[in-house]
Amino acid sequence: MKVLVVDDSVTMRRIIINSLKSSGFDDIVEAGDGVEGLANMDGVELVLTDWNMPNMDGLTFVKELRKSPVYADIPIIMITTEGAKTEVVEALKHGVNNYVVKPFDKETLLSKVNATIKG
Amino acid sequence: MKIEYINPFLNAVDNAMETMIGVSPVRDKPYIKDSRTTTGDITGVIGFAEKRISGSVALSFPTKTILKIYELMMGAPVDEINNEVDDIVGELTNIVVGGAKKEFSELGLPFNISLPLVVSGTNHVIKHKHDNPVMVIPYSVEGNKFIMEISLMVK
Repeated sequence: MKVLVVDDSVTMRRIIINSLKSSGFDDIVEAGDGVEGLANMDGVELVLTDWNMPNMDGLTFVKELRKSPVYADIPIIMITTEGAKTEVVEALKHGVNNYVVKPFDKETLLSKVNATIKG
Repeated sequence: MKIEYINPFLNAVDNAMETMIGVSPVRDKPYIKDSRTTTGDITGVIGFAEKRISGSVALSFPTKTILKIYELMMGAPVDEINNEVDDIVGELTNIVVGGAKKEFSELGLPFNISLPLVVSGTNHVIKHKHDNPVMVIPYSVEGNKFIMEISLMVK
């Protein structure tokens, strides 16, 4: 399964990617914001995205994907510091399938990834 | 500054450090800062604002401390402050203010946060959102010191 990890923090991307690799995911592409994310969607089957990013934030990125006939149903996990109930509800309303609040541990991240894939 | 407005930041620092580096930070006695210069070599700052609440928070680290935190987070050491260390300072600041934001939202004080700004260099100056007194909370992780600065106005 090809996974796209979008986060403006290069170290956070590495933490997420290392967690995914430890669970057997080996086809991973990365992007630093929503614009780069949209440009790297070819063949992607699962998206993990941050919310607060420059150029194009994660919520706008999700809305763009959901408008596309190709990616309207692709599983999306938002990984963000935005943990307030109103933000979670807003993200889910706009088509995010699952939600991970930073800081997170590897087990929590992988459990959400696996639940989203199976979901 | 009411303690109920400080606790969300204290809780967020504890949670960030315990989850991201597996170490509980030790907190020392807070004090009020009387200059704009900070004690660290590298600092992350985030501003936040909404109708009833606004302010800024800074996390400031001596080089030795942030290199230790980098090693604990990333699993490999680095010898000096580089772009990735800058990045970790920004992300930690983001996680702390984001964690506090959730608690403030539950207190009926939601706010929006800026993207983090990272500044480095000895005796660098931190400009907070307000000119009111800045509370400084000293910490250490495994004997390595750092501080959190909080500037806050609640209407």
